Amino acid sequence: MELQKFTYDNKLTRLFMNATIFWGLIGMLVGLTIALELIYPLMTNGVSWLSFGRLRPLHTNAVIFAFVGNGMFTGIYYSTPRLLKTSMFSELLGKIHFWGWQLIILSAVLTLPFGITVGKEYAELEWPIDIAITLVWVVFGINLIMTIVKRRVKHIYVAIWFYIATFVTVAVLHIVNSISIPVSLLKSYPIYAGIQDALVQWWYGHNAVAFFLTTPYLGLMYYFIPKAANRPVYSYKLSIIHFWALIFLYIWAGPHHLLYSALPDWAQALGVVFSVMLIAPSWGGMINGLLTLRGAWDKVREDPVLKMFVVGVTAYGMSTFEGPLLSLKSVNAISHFTDWTIAHVHIGALGWNGMLTFGMLYWLMPRLYNTKLFSVKMANAHFWLATTGMLFFAVPLYFAGFTQSLMWKEFTEEGYLKYPNFIETVVQILPMYYLRVLGGTLYITGVILMIYNLIKTAQMGTFSKIEEDEAPALHSVSHEKDKGHRILEGKPILFTILALVAILIGGIVEFVPMFMVKSNVPIIASVQPYTPLELQGRDIYLREGCYNCHSQMIRPFRSEVERYGDYSKAGESVYDHPFQFGSKRTGPDLAREGVKTGPIYKPDSWHYNHFLSPQKMISQSIMPPYPWIINNDLDISSTPKKIRVMQLLGVPYPDGYAEKANEDLKKQANKIAQGLRDGGIEVEDGKEVIALIAYIQRLGTDIHKTE
Amino acid sequence: MTTEDQHYKNKDTDYEVDTLTNDRLIKGHEYDGIRELDNDLPPWWKWLFILCIVFATIYLVRLWVFRSDDLIQRKEFEKELAVMKTSAAVTASNAEAFELVLLSDGVSLANGKETWLKICSVCHLLDGGGLVGPNMTDNYWIHGNKIEDLFAVLENGVIEKGMISYKDQLSPKQRLEVTSYVLNELVGSTPSKPKEPQGDLYE
Repeated sequence: MELQKFTYDNKLTRLFMNATIFWGLIGMLVGLTIALELIYPLMTNGVSWLSFGRLRPLHTNAVIFAFVGNGMFTGIYYSTPRLLKTSMFSELLGKIHFWGWQLIILSAVLTLPFGITVGKEYAELEWPIDIAITLVWVVFGINLIMTIVKRRVKHIYVAIWFYIATFVTVAVLHIVNSISIPVSLLKSYPIYAGIQDALVQWWYGHNAVAFFLTTPYLGLMYYFIPKAANRPVYSYKLSIIHFWALIFLYIWAGPHHLLYSALPDWAQALGVVFSVMLIAPSWGGMINGLLTLRGAWDKVREDPVLKMFVVGVTAYGMSTFEGPLLSLKSVNAISHFTDWTIAHVHIGALGWNGMLTFGMLYWLMPRLYNTKLFSVKMANAHFWLATTGMLFFAVPLYFAGFTQSLMWKEFTEEGYLKYPNFIETVVQILPMYYLRVLGGTLYITGVILMIYNLIKTAQMGTFSKIEEDEAPALHSVSHEKDKGHRILEGKPILFTILALVAILIGGIVEFVPMFMVKSNVPIIASVQPYTPLELQGRDIYLREGCYNCHSQMIRPFRSEVERYGDYSKAGESVYDHPFQFGSKRTGPDLAREGVKTGPIYKPDSWHYNHFLSPQKMISQSIMPPYPWIINNDLDISSTPKKIRVMQLLGVPYPDGYAEKANEDLKKQANKIAQGLRDGGIEVEDGKEVIALIAYIQRLGTDIHKTE
Repeated sequence: MTTEDQHYKNKDTDYEVDTLTNDRLIKGHEYDGIRELDNDLPPWWKWLFILCIVFATIYLVRLWVFRSDDLIQRKEFEKELAVMKTSAAVTASNAEAFELVLLSDGVSLANGKETWLKICSVCHLLDGGGLVGPNMTDNYWIHGNKIEDLFAVLENGVIEKGMISYKDQLSPKQRLEVTSYVLNELVGSTPSKPKEPQGDLYE
């Protein structure tokens, strides 16, 4: 049999590796900053681009797409050619992929802190960047699929299955969720509204966790654990079953982010049951990872790489058990909107993604540089810093979430809320926020130690730009007939198509009725489009990322109805492009903030003073001040275009209203500003704060108009 | 012998065994040095999966076929509301036995102060000097200075001025305590930044 020679390109792996480390550190430091801001709300007083609402999206985007994204590409570009015995299809496409991805991240850094955002969680980037993501992702996909096509190994290994599922699903998720109509170069409105937008968004959001943070990393696990431990994979059969079950079931589970919301019961139920059914397929991955280490446990005690893999995979097992638990309505009623969710996702991010990435980097670096790791001791120290850091982060937040939720729900014997003032429940959990900062600091210290260790390692050795290998050509390898799943493994294009079908079913079954059957979003006649001023105010609300701390979704619980007013209905948000239900209540829900007969109404002057200085109104408040909203002039030149785009999206403004909209805007602004001036506040009509107050005072009021 | 037969024959005799675990390795499954074992699905894992599917089926049948009340959130809420009504009845009966008289005992005033700091201070400031709401320390009153007057404001609110009704948030006892606190302790005190007087002077 004639052997063919070929090479593996390590340059691209190294580029992605460096980017992983760099962006990982940045993403985590931004996380630490916003954790500090929750304790010291005046820390960045007056600097708009450092405020919590603007930096939190940067933190999540940086960790997900920059740290984990580059991490997965590092592993994929290293393992794929080796598993397939070929070089990557195109070095050029690889370079375009790398630099394109870094430019996308850079553009996130240059837009999110400046309030350029769509206002949908984990999909905040504006439309030109969304298009760039799509193009770069396609480049990655072509490079991956074509490498598989020109392979010299007939069957594709389980790691490659997971890479394929990642590629097709992320493409579908990103495109469907990001469709929007531009208003300008840096502003757009999503085509979906309200509860429908929420369903699409959480289908996306949940499966970003599934197909960006999970499946590619399972692929990495299937490559790097057997390699590092030098052990065979525990069970091929388990790989098959858990792979297909995982990708088919995962896509349905999005609605569990909308339990007890205005989403119809049938859709919520799908979210519940598909999450529960996910336990076993997820644990299949954990079992296959951990049991691969049988016979190598003595090595695990010694080797920091394997230690990190073990903690990473265990964290994966923990969070994939916790996820289904949180999807049970009774548990979700307590956990949702609290820090419990934050703790949960950080077990995944710090434990699963972080530890797996670190282990991979410690394993790769000496191999790329033909040397040994500079200091095993230091890597062990990193392991302990990361593990304790993760625990110090998560455990206090579990406690905080649970405590705060019970306080929200507690009634006195006379039947009144025990803690009617939201701030009491915040003050109670502040000590936990300090501990979280300690945990994060420990974790980041470990990362800095790793960076030093890896740089030293690189300095000790010499980098091999390419590695040579040889293998027989594909056609001359085997004449054996395949059976069962083996057939599919030999036909990667068919495999890709079937994976695509598997991940499309869940979404279609949930979306089609939600968009086609009218009864799913019962019409409320009194719900009207926003006035032009309110629409502008709403865009300020989006720009400042208010949804990062305030929900707009009152759940049908006695404790919430008493605290916030009547529970939210699907028909109330039909003109909300995008929806703003939120997922966390660091501050109170705002869905009925404007209802004068409701329990949380505040006058305009209160809001004005509160934006200027929350601490002046509520001395213990952890909300930052927004002096720039008070000082900035409202840009009304965009009003006609915004109205026209809204009309295009089906919002029933009268024909020709776009041109008259600013007249109404000015009238309404004058009325609000005059009211404030009558109360002794010096303010001009044309300031941003007036629009924001108009929006806040509109919230939740429509259904009370007919009463 | 055909290759097919040979393959069949080899199946039982030709397996390689992983020496550390005695598990069978699958022949021909090797990727960059990674081998795969021929282990079955762990039985407990298989049963876990089946149980979860059974749970899912029962859950959906209960909702979609039997329309069970506990899976329909509107019904769940109505049930909870019934409990709320019962406790509201308790409150109403408390209110009947209740006398609108200025309190001056230490416990009541301390309770009243607590309510003031938690709720009222959001608009009238901690020391009562007023900000969005009027100054509560001077002798100028918009809606009267008797305990009945203050109590009525808490009961009904002054919605056009932004003062909401606290009927549903504070029990009658709490409202009485806090109005007593205002009249006994705040009035006549010296706040750090008093708001200018509003309303009429009451001597």
